[in-house]
Amino acid sequence: MAIIEAEGLRKRYGDRVVLDRVSFSVEEGEVFGILGPNGAGKTTAVECVEGLRRQDSGSVRVLGLDPLRQGRRLREHIGVQLQHTRLPENIKVWEALDLYASFYERARDWRGLMERWGLADERNVRFGKLSGGQCQRLFIALALVGDPKVAFLDELTTGLDPQARRATWELVKRVRAEGVTVVLVSHFMDEVEELCDRVAVLDRGAVVALDSPAGLVDGVDAEYRMSFRLLNGSDASVPDAEGLLGRLDGVTSVSRDADLVVVVGRGDFTSAVTASLARERILVGDLRIDKRTLDDAFIALTGRSLQA
Amino acid sequence: MNTLAKLATVETKLLVREPGAVFSLLIPLFILVVFGGAITEGDTVLLPMAVTMAIGLVGLYLLPTTLATYRERGVLRRLSVTPVRPGSLLAVQLLLQLVLTVLAVSLLLGVGIGVLGARAPGALVLAAVFLCGTGAMFSVGLLIAALASNGRSANGFGVLLFFPLAYLGGLMQPADRMPDILALVGGYTPMGALRQSLHDVWSGVPAPLPLVVMAVYAVGLSLVAARFFRWE
Repeated sequence: MAIIEAEGLRKRYGDRVVLDRVSFSVEEGEVFGILGPNGAGKTTAVECVEGLRRQDSGSVRVLGLDPLRQGRRLREHIGVQLQHTRLPENIKVWEALDLYASFYERARDWRGLMERWGLADERNVRFGKLSGGQCQRLFIALALVGDPKVAFLDELTTGLDPQARRATWELVKRVRAEGVTVVLVSHFMDEVEELCDRVAVLDRGAVVALDSPAGLVDGVDAEYRMSFRLLNGSDASVPDAEGLLGRLDGVTSVSRDADLVVVVGRGDFTSAVTASLARERILVGDLRIDKRTLDDAFIALTGRSLQA
Repeated sequence: MNTLAKLATVETKLLVREPGAVFSLLIPLFILVVFGGAITEGDTVLLPMAVTMAIGLVGLYLLPTTLATYRERGVLRRLSVTPVRPGSLLAVQLLLQLVLTVLAVSLLLGVGIGVLGARAPGALVLAAVFLCGTGAMFSVGLLIAALASNGRSANGFGVLLFFPLAYLGGLMQPADRMPDILALVGGYTPMGALRQSLHDVWSGVPAPLPLVVMAVYAVGLSLVAARFFRWE
């Protein structure tokens, strides 16, 4: 069942088009990524879904409700972590959780959440004194305290150090394991690749691709390379590796320097190469395949790098 | 109701932890006590000045800084994605700031009348003038909160407005020792009208003009503030 359905969202500020016919749907229980460079319209799209912003045209349904007309009912069932929002400097961790729990008809036990998200030791610490990672844990806990069906997490790891980012990823996996559907807005490839079941790639306000991270990567028709060393390797035992591999589907070039062989190709040429080596009983070691990444997929889709 | 009660409790705690709230209580009291030796039973100047200053500090400084900071930090925006309306937080804040103002004024009256020996004015007249004056001063604060882009600029606006208004209002020196034209203009400022009305309360019956001036500010500026207020 689709929990979120966005259909043909358009939004413009003056003559700047921010969203151009954006459509996507999010299934129950999945982690859905919205990926794109800064200014691609990710946050605006999510804000339309949350009912914070009114689209010029197009329709949104979340849990079967209209976010603009039935916002109050909807907000009982969604949890949101917004980009660029903070809490009052002097509020203590437990006070924030207690307060936010009081906003919802069916709130979760905030003490349990505080334990679960590793904030028990900080219960009396004021918001202004929390570290970046602790803030994010608190924001996630606040997003979950209303026992939501969907959680929206916007640029969760921006500004965190690599270790804290990894730790936050584990938290997102836990949210999902608890059965909460997650919409994750990010401009980090590795994050989306690690966490998301499906991704909508946004560029200049339009959805340019929508697939699983692996599907997006497979969709890239760019050359990549594999390399290996011949083990049973005097030249005599493998007379013509170039000739043998060069004929395979997808292989565009083979080069050899003593026992090191480098094969370049497209598509799924690597399985053809390994199968062929096995058939000829050629033993190889040091096998390396230069993995294509979502970054390559993004460049192929938009013609430029995400981080640029 | 549970939500509003909780919101009020937390906001009260936050207000108590805010040094500005303590200053709004203590600065007018300090001035009253320092100059308190001059108070006699017939005094109609010092207590009205201190009371006006207390209301002005909360209205021009504490209220706009708090509200603009909440907007700047996204506190109001974060509330708007919960079942609670962000307007509830504004209402709770206004109420708390009003309570704080009542406390500050009560403290001044207690010390002024109880310790320094000033005459006690009529409670009803005083309450009416207090409400008009607080309305006028809070509406200036709301306008600042609506126009300022963040907490620091709201603070700056407040300070920038406080001193000229305090001067024109006759808080720096008694109005009868000011140049006539400034004293005349001062009578039409929120602080000047409030100080004049309070002066009237202690010396007799309040004249209608300063009350009308304050009411016009309260209604007019609140409407302008509501027109320009942004949630984010």
